[in-house]
Amino acid sequence: MKRIIFCGVGALGSTAAVLCRNLEPTLVFVDFDRVESKNLLAQAFVKLSVGKNKAEALKAQLLNFHGTKCEAFGVRLGAENVEQLCGAADLIVDCFDNLASRTVLSTFARAKNKALVHAAISGDGTFGIVRWDERFKPDAEDQEGQATCEGGEHLPLIGQLGAALARVIQDFVKGGERRDVMVGLKAVTPT
Amino acid sequence: MAHLNITFNGLSADYPLELDAHVTDADDRRIAVEHVRSGAMVALHVPHLADNAFDNFVVDRMQNGMRIYLRPKVPFGA
Repeated sequence: MKRIIFCGVGALGSTAAVLCRNLEPTLVFVDFDRVESKNLLAQAFVKLSVGKNKAEALKAQLLNFHGTKCEAFGVRLGAENVEQLCGAADLIVDCFDNLASRTVLSTFARAKNKALVHAAISGDGTFGIVRWDERFKPDAEDQEGQATCEGGEHLPLIGQLGAALARVIQDFVKGGERRDVMVGLKAVTPT
Repeated sequence: MAHLNITFNGLSADYPLELDAHVTDADDRRIAVEHVRSGAMVALHVPHLADNAFDNFVVDRMQNGMRIYLRPKVPFGA
């Protein structure tokens, strides 16, 4: 296994990526967004990264602080470029925050027989899941523009879910195992 | 014996279900409201839970329908 591609490196993606720095494959980050100061509360970015592209910033942090092999693509992933961005992936990790992008990844992974695992969290920051694509159906927001858990209030749950995702990735890298989990405020439950 | 797992307000609990026939998602939501109100689900007892408490929740059927998960929507990753 050579390349793990994290699609979306906000709260879940950046947290899980930091906990995957012990793995042998190159970590690849895809995100068009920029780091804002409010992101420092719930995402794995440092103050020096504010204003930078999230994918580039995470790459710089992991490279400089930990010597981790990383690549970054600071672009918006869509149907028109998913092949270019994910074509060389041995594992795709979906940490996007919208149904349309998650659907693009699922469609691509199913067509190309790529391993794809999804991580997703509820809007109130009380519950999350890690689920492999063969058992995953993306949820839509209750209403457009629904608030996400951007503040620091939900950081412990984000940390738990990010850690669970990192362990699921590690198990897949080491032995090909595909575990699903649910994470609540009091438990991590194998499903 | 099927099991219904409900996650509400960050807490999860299991309840064994004897099902004679296929139940719809709406049935699952109604059953869940009754069980959570009644205190039948250990650690997940909300006596005055609203009738529509689970209307926006998702029903996942795993393990050939023997594990039924009623959970909040999870639209976000970032």
